[in-house]
Amino acid sequence: MQTHLADFIEGTPEGREADTILRSCVHCGFCTATCPTYQLLGDELDGPRGRIYLIKQMLEGRPVSRLTQVHLDRCLSCRSCETTCPSGVNYHRLLDIGRGVVERCVPRPMAEKAMRFLLREALPRPWLFGAAVKLGRWMRPLLPPALADKVPATPGEGAGAWPKAAAHKRRMIVLAGCVQPALAPDTNAAAARVLDKLGIALFEAAGAGCCGALRYHLDAHERALADMRRLIDAWWPHVDSEQFGGIEAIVMTASGCGAHVRDFGALLGHDPVYAGKAARISALTRDISEVLDAEREGLAALLGEAGAGTGPEVSFHSPCTLQHGQKVRGVVESLLAVAGYRLSPVAGAHLCCGSAGTYSITQPALSTRLRDNKLAALGAGSPAVFATANVGCQTHLQSGTATPVRHWIELIDERLNG
Amino acid sequence: MSGHGASSLAHWAERIRAAAAGRSHLRLRGGGSKDFYGCGPDAGNPDTLGTRDYAGIVAYEPTELVVTARCGTPLAELEAVLAEQGQSLAFEPPHFGSEATVGGCVAAGLSGPRRAQAGALRDFVLGVKMLDGNGDLLTFGGQVMKNVAGYDVPRLLAGSLGTLGLIAEVSLKVLPLPVAEHTLRFELAQQEALDLLNRWGGRPLPISASAWRGDALHVRFSGAAAAVGAAANSLVGLGGQPVAAAEASAFWHSLREQTHAFFAGDAPLWRLAVPSTTPVLAVDGMRSDAQLVEWGGAQRWLRGEGDHAAAIRALATEAGGHATLFRGDAATRASSGAFQPLSAPLLRLHRNLKAAFDPRGVFNPGRLYPEF
Amino acid sequence: MSIDNEIGAPRCVVGRRQLIAQLRTVLPPHCLLIEEEELRPYECDGLTAYRQLPSLVALPENEAQAQAALEICAALNAPVVPRGAATGLSGGAMPHRDGVVVSLAKLKRIVKLDPLARTAVVQPGVRNLAVSEAAAPYGLYYAPDPSSQIACTIGGNVAENSGGVHCLKYGLTVHNVLRVRGLTVDGEIVEFGNAALDAPGYDLLALMNGSEGMLALITEVTVKLTPKPELAQVVLASFDEVTKAGDAVAGIIAAGIIPAGLEMMDKKATHAVEPYVNAGYDMDAEAILLCESDGTPEEVAEEIARMKAVLEHSGASGIRVSQNEAERLKFWAGRKAAFPAVGRITPDYLCMDGTIPRKNLARMLVAIAEMEVRYGLRCANVFHAGDGNLHPLIMYDANVPGQLDLATAFGAEILELSVELGGTITGEHGVGIEKIGQMCAQFSPDELDLFRRLKRAFDPGGLLNPGKAIPAAARCREYRLTRGAAPLAGSVR
Repeated sequence: MQTHLADFIEGTPEGREADTILRSCVHCGFCTATCPTYQLLGDELDGPRGRIYLIKQMLEGRPVSRLTQVHLDRCLSCRSCETTCPSGVNYHRLLDIGRGVVERCVPRPMAEKAMRFLLREALPRPWLFGAAVKLGRWMRPLLPPALADKVPATPGEGAGAWPKAAAHKRRMIVLAGCVQPALAPDTNAAAARVLDKLGIALFEAAGAGCCGALRYHLDAHERALADMRRLIDAWWPHVDSEQFGGIEAIVMTASGCGAHVRDFGALLGHDPVYAGKAARISALTRDISEVLDAEREGLAALLGEAGAGTGPEVSFHSPCTLQHGQKVRGVVESLLAVAGYRLSPVAGAHLCCGSAGTYSITQPALSTRLRDNKLAALGAGSPAVFATANVGCQTHLQSGTATPVRHWIELIDERLNG
Repeated sequence: MSGHGASSLAHWAERIRAAAAGRSHLRLRGGGSKDFYGCGPDAGNPDTLGTRDYAGIVAYEPTELVVTARCGTPLAELEAVLAEQGQSLAFEPPHFGSEATVGGCVAAGLSGPRRAQAGALRDFVLGVKMLDGNGDLLTFGGQVMKNVAGYDVPRLLAGSLGTLGLIAEVSLKVLPLPVAEHTLRFELAQQEALDLLNRWGGRPLPISASAWRGDALHVRFSGAAAAVGAAANSLVGLGGQPVAAAEASAFWHSLREQTHAFFAGDAPLWRLAVPSTTPVLAVDGMRSDAQLVEWGGAQRWLRGEGDHAAAIRALATEAGGHATLFRGDAATRASSGAFQPLSAPLLRLHRNLKAAFDPRGVFNPGRLYPEF
Repeated sequence: MSIDNEIGAPRCVVGRRQLIAQLRTVLPPHCLLIEEEELRPYECDGLTAYRQLPSLVALPENEAQAQAALEICAALNAPVVPRGAATGLSGGAMPHRDGVVVSLAKLKRIVKLDPLARTAVVQPGVRNLAVSEAAAPYGLYYAPDPSSQIACTIGGNVAENSGGVHCLKYGLTVHNVLRVRGLTVDGEIVEFGNAALDAPGYDLLALMNGSEGMLALITEVTVKLTPKPELAQVVLASFDEVTKAGDAVAGIIAAGIIPAGLEMMDKKATHAVEPYVNAGYDMDAEAILLCESDGTPEEVAEEIARMKAVLEHSGASGIRVSQNEAERLKFWAGRKAAFPAVGRITPDYLCMDGTIPRKNLARMLVAIAEMEVRYGLRCANVFHAGDGNLHPLIMYDANVPGQLDLATAFGAEILELSVELGGTITGEHGVGIEKIGQMCAQFSPDELDLFRRLKRAFDPGGLLNPGKAIPAAARCREYRLTRGAAPLAGSVR
């Protein structure tokens, strides 16, 4: 597409990147077909092609208002469009840039500002969020529905036991994350137990906090970059030094974090101090499914008789951050099959469940429609359990169904250790 | 091939212009094999403009799958030339007599037994050269498979019964003749036959024609030898009896040309186009066995004396289709009209279109509908 | 480019404020866009070279709202531009300056699917592929498959009479639609065709197909569904000369084979898509052919053997047959994504759509290669070879002054050559705004006049999609003057 960027951004690193992305778009419209919000709303402005146009006109210096902001806010950042796009448009980067500019140009209403502040400040702090969840459980009847839905009514089962620190030679770090310890405390423990059986020691690094994704997607870019640098600092001794024996990989059990950590290299590419470290971190990052996929033979040998389609029926929701963000497709499904689970087919598997980070709180109406559509698709074959790969999707889906929604690694763990 | 093509076109244009100027009418006529079809062609005593002299195949390249012929070309001659190259008009147009011409065939827009599988005549019309009501020689469409430049006038002329203009030349898509054909006969009541045909229709079977009449269903398979054999074999288990090739060919020909015994006699012949899943039709006062079903259930022929027009048309409308008084004496045609009446907005559009093509109302007035 | 003098364009300026006030009474607030900021993304369809900011955008959620909106537009003499998914490549959905874009994207319900009758009743905003997906559990599908089928809508398909890669055997949209329900320009409901195989009177259903939104606003379509063939296999053949590939196409048809699909891509096209799709195309080949057979396993085996024999005889340098469904889809994926994938190697492109007799394919390719040199622009070629339908993709950079004009002239020359070679300027993309000039080359003044009369029969005031498809007499006079005085070849360099 033809572009004429305005002076305020032309020539800046962001401007150059945006221009390249805009010019790679040929306006074919294929992206609208797999965009969850366009499929619900049917308005060009609520699909990727229209949002690209909104961003384009803003970067070309046309007046921008709340109208543009509303449509950019509605984007889930699910990146389904990137999977569909034959021209290779790096949509999510353009959206990030565009959202940043809108945030600078257009003031938000007070209530929205407060909500976003709360999300930005509370969620990335595990101690605060954990306390809030406990409090929230208590206060549930008093909370607005969008928020109340997210707070589990009863405490989930606590973290199962981590394996005793075995003297495995192979070592990997796992990200604890910010909201996962409170909402799904057993996920990392289960991953550790599974890897332990495969001769790999998994541990959480001290001082590692939030990966920065939450703040980044709430358009607090500088605060997010600070989170990212802090995380790199916590990990770096393990990555860089022989003192700890070195690590093979940085493992992600929440695909939302994984997609973001994989972007560290790009996001900190202009940082003279952190650029190199960030690229190294991104290169070491693996989703837990990729780690297990590489150990497929060992896993199959351990499972032995447990395989061969004898397990219960399960339907898998692949989080957008896994299938579109990290482009890991079909891997979890095949691992579950190795472990003997029978997979129900899921219609519209490319579509977002509506969780999308804090989307379920900032856009409750759309989020609920997407969730209910997703639950209907997952439940079509009446499976006993739904599985997913990201804590956000897990709690969001669970808020609308009685069928248990679990991280798939826990299901593998059950077959191995149950 | 006529050697004075250009001069006859110029002559016709002159006649058209003269008629337009004098507010008189012209009756366009090829071989006259379908004079029975539609409403009174002699309304207002129009002069006849015969098109048989303007004949000949203009272009035919088998590898392009297109033949272009002048309107007066005998249909039989065209089909013979195609057959020499192993090709055919896949919609199996009925001739209704050896005089049938290519122009008349397109103007009547009728298709034969293969229609449900291969498509209708209109699906094969690629281009036309025509004279409109101003006597202007116009060309629309072309000789290529795909063409969306401008409105689809060639397909609009198909079945217009010469009311929009004189079709001077036409380009038709042709297809290779099937390598193999095989016909099976099943003993079945009509409803059973309809049920089976619709179920088979949802399967990728190479069924190229079907006909139910008098408790027997005939089904024809066409295509590659292996495919026809396999498909026919898969249905023999259901009681299908193979029909000898010559007998089968004569049978399908008798349907296409309406020489089958069902079509004999003078009783009015009704053609109903309905969804193929429409259950057996029953008209009060008409014999339920005087029916013939084609096109997988989508074309139903009804016969019976007496005035059943209103009942039949209501029945067809209810089913989602329409009914045509295909053959009947002039009096019945005049009283009930040949074709299903149009809704008010459609009639308005028809009149407007007629005026757009033939502003002075020169061509075949009343042949399609008495209103224009 | 002035479009105000095209046929039927309204003479008087519409009172925009009055229009907004009245439309607000029939459309919910989120279904009417009025601010420039929201209107801008609607200024073009898949053809970005032609843009026009609309006066308003209406997004009706049902037929009744569409009807009410249309009545208001007609009463106030406001042009109406229908829009589906806006994937069109001829600018057919480009807005009118004083007009209302009526987007039918919210009408996206599959109203009824009857597996026994093999029909589906769908709203116009239903995506082409969504129909096939809904029919799949019954072993059925909707046959026309334009490359944009993932996104394009049935309403748009009817308006453009869209084709696809399988239409030599399975037909275009016009062959696969039974009924179109729509609104006349003054909001009256009218039905063309019905639930049966034909309808009484003139074939207005055929006329609706390819009418580019100029005759009626489509609100519902009944489509035919086709049983899925038991098996489909595709032969991927490589050629070291494009002319050999062109000859192979004629050879296949001459052998009495009607392939389910017969597609050709030249080297520039395969090099654009291969890195993205990994379809397994031969990167050394000057051209590849994709030749598909479908039917019963016996039928396919027989036909594939015959196809291979012809391809070998035509001098194919390599032949591969898909061994399973995944491989078949992979071979096709490259073809289906070809247009936008070219977007990876160029910022902008124009996609042509001429159709010519198959025998002239090689001649056209040679001519295009010569034009590339003359215009100094690259052109990748993707052909529906079985139909003789060409999609040359002329690559340019809209940010470089003058390149769009060059590309446009290049395209015009291809189209005019198509007509000269016995073909047409558009096979399936429609005339829209893009090829309106070349209509003057393909049709005589009398023929164009008949089109205008036909248009007036439906839309006397010329309010439906004015300025598209049918050029005004003045435009053609100008076109003939400029083309006569300075032939294209001389106007460049």
